[in-house]
Amino acid sequence: MNPDVFTFLVGGRAGQGVKKAGEVAAHLFARLGRHVFQMDDYQSLIRGGHNFSVVSTAVREITSHTMKADLVVALDERSLNLHRTHLADAGVIVCDACASDGGVVSLPMGEEAEAYTRPELRAGVGAVACLCAAIGMDAGGLESVVRSEYPDADNNVAYARTIHQLAAARIRGRFALKKGDRERPLLTGNQAIALGAAAGGLDFYAGYPMTPSSTILHFLARHDEDLGIVVIHPESEIAVANIAVGAAAAGARAMVGTSGGGFALMEEALSLAGMAETPLLCVLSSRPGPSTGVPTYTEQADLGFALHQGHGDFLRIVASPGSVAEAYLLTAEMLALVWRYQAVGTLLTEKHLSESQMTVDFDPASAAWAEPVLGGGDGYVRYERTEDGVSPLAFFPSRNPVKWNSYEHDEAGITTEDAGLIAAMHDKRDRKLAPLIEHLKTLRTVNRFGDDGPVVVTYGSTTMSVLEALHVGSLTATVVQPVYLRPWPAWELGDLAGREVVVVEQSSTGQFARLVAEKTRAVPARVIRRYDGRPFEPDELAGELGSAFSDLGKEVPR
Amino acid sequence: MTREQPDALLTQAEKTWCPGCGNFGIMNAFRGAIRVLGERGVPREMIVMCAGIGQHAKIFDYMNLSGFYSLHGRSMATAQGIKLANPDLKVVDFVGDGDAMGEGIAHMIFAAKRNADITVVMHNNGIYALTTGQRAPTTAKGVRGPSTPRGNTEEPLNPIALMLEAGATFVARGYSGRIEQLTELMVSAIEHEGFSFLDVLQPCVTFNDTYDRYNEGTEEISGPLDFEAALALSRRADPVPLGLFYRGTRETQERAVAGERNPVRDHPTRQERLEAVIRLIGA
Repeated sequence: MNPDVFTFLVGGRAGQGVKKAGEVAAHLFARLGRHVFQMDDYQSLIRGGHNFSVVSTAVREITSHTMKADLVVALDERSLNLHRTHLADAGVIVCDACASDGGVVSLPMGEEAEAYTRPELRAGVGAVACLCAAIGMDAGGLESVVRSEYPDADNNVAYARTIHQLAAARIRGRFALKKGDRERPLLTGNQAIALGAAAGGLDFYAGYPMTPSSTILHFLARHDEDLGIVVIHPESEIAVANIAVGAAAAGARAMVGTSGGGFALMEEALSLAGMAETPLLCVLSSRPGPSTGVPTYTEQADLGFALHQGHGDFLRIVASPGSVAEAYLLTAEMLALVWRYQAVGTLLTEKHLSESQMTVDFDPASAAWAEPVLGGGDGYVRYERTEDGVSPLAFFPSRNPVKWNSYEHDEAGITTEDAGLIAAMHDKRDRKLAPLIEHLKTLRTVNRFGDDGPVVVTYGSTTMSVLEALHVGSLTATVVQPVYLRPWPAWELGDLAGREVVVVEQSSTGQFARLVAEKTRAVPARVIRRYDGRPFEPDELAGELGSAFSDLGKEVPR
Repeated sequence: MTREQPDALLTQAEKTWCPGCGNFGIMNAFRGAIRVLGERGVPREMIVMCAGIGQHAKIFDYMNLSGFYSLHGRSMATAQGIKLANPDLKVVDFVGDGDAMGEGIAHMIFAAKRNADITVVMHNNGIYALTTGQRAPTTAKGVRGPSTPRGNTEEPLNPIALMLEAGATFVARGYSGRIEQLTELMVSAIEHEGFSFLDVLQPCVTFNDTYDRYNEGTEEISGPLDFEAALALSRRADPVPLGLFYRGTRETQERAVAGERNPVRDHPTRQERLEAVIRLIGA
């Protein structure tokens, strides 16, 4: 039970406006000054099936939804059956003309919608009307919400008022929501990534549609003129990555985004960027794999892939944000780093962060700004062997040719097979690692939450689940979240050597636990894994953490 | 032809093409084209070259020009990225027939489809030369090679017809043995606003020596022709037509995507960008 959290869950078929109803609820809560976390569970289809949106809200910071819903609006029979089990104590479930037994409020939502064109699309509006009635919002308040959020406003308002009246008769004011301190912006992880990149100086984004990365492409394409960013959707991920490499060589701060399968197709171009030292940032938003896997769900099984992307030795930077706000700042920071060190960066995230929406508290102006080390003029060569390995950049047009090369090359960028030069150019590129590490030491490469109790090591979107689980379970622990995964922030993690820790991750084989053990010499005494495509549920995770903590220090077979 | 005079357009890199290789003719035509373009007000630093991987691509090391020595089959994508980032540049992409009609054929078709304003010069020797003479997508059926010891089992592609159908707005064929015509075609291709495809017949003296065939069996056409006539002529194999098949006008990719903006030149200030971001966050 989360007494300080109110959760609204709306479920139905694809095409009934389920996700939209969740978004409207999220905005409504945010306008009350509350913190919000919205998670959408949807299938890879356009019509039918079962989708739900779950929106949790509190007057404290909240970092996960919970499945224990206080108000469930089931737009079809399947949703009713599936979500009855999730109902919180004293929760209310509203359904559309279902067999009304104990505790279920049946309203003729579908029947009332028949009076309008495209009645199926009204369902979500009906769910919002039920929510407004349940939290004691009057019809006038509901009308302004519907007008600002939905098209065909007159019809939707009329329909919403009808449902509101019916719902109010049964559940008016059942849940009193306290107002919070102030209204905060709501962002999805992908919006934060797109905006963070923009704040960092992005000029160019290329993407090929692949869930759960596609909404970065959609967001930037919709706002390309507002931001002054060129956004393209070419023929394949291979084209995406190679076009981005070309754009970066011409001086455009470029980013690409994809999921596991698309990232596999980009590999060749990432090695190209590694050899040619073309600054390039890639967003890898994971879904359950391998292969096509489960497109619209979440997993953290691309960690090893992200760490080792591309063939050959070259400078890779991999980092993974643990919240939506961090996604914004980290994307800008990564763009700045790949430009400063002419490196290939991978921002590793998951569907659970990419597509979940939450209220954020951060200063957008604190984003990093990508600036290369510039050179040029007489005697300029593209690959000057400098002390720190970073060869100053010059862009076309240039009186001294700027020659980028995928072959091993000399300082001028001309192909070489000379043994001494091959080794010397490797050394030049490898020298960039040391200054990069010194730079990283000035940044926040590891987040720590709490400083007491057992140590929980986690990363990425799972961090949000862990923090919420500790809160709802009233558990004390120190949460260690490496933000940077390559180079590994060893300077921050020395205290883990030899310690028993609990690792939480979404991979069936425990990829992160192995990485932590290898890099820190910590002992992952318990590895809590979830790999069914669903994010951790805080109440369930709290139970698992509690039992893991009580087992620590005991002799247990591993 | 293999001995070069010192020339600001050339690097000091050792030329490792075989003596008599058709690639020399293509490079000489390109040098000539750069001079002509210079006289017409296009400074050489505005010309940026890309290359795939193969014998053809060594032109990148030999030319003292800016650019990107890309991957096998991907240089058309690299070239499009450069052009999208800085539309003021003239981007010339040198590709092989294996490169462009094999590994990278999707990029060729889409570059033509979207009328990317780049010039693709395809060194067409009908063979994979750098990797020791395997059949290419342009190799005739029956030809033997190390990967097809009993003869090529596939029919060859017709690059001119393919590029016409895909939407290229400048389609021409030259021959490395006719440098004057090839130079003119290159100048026109680079000047053309839109996707230019220049198929260049290029004898490979080691694996596929076609000098005799092309010295005799080619015929200059007086193009451009209308689209249907160009397509019909592209199917004629003997004599092989040389010249400008087709030239059309269509909005380029760069203009369609960014209008008059030049993303690199018009890079926003940090303050401008932050203001736009903060507006979108609604903070």
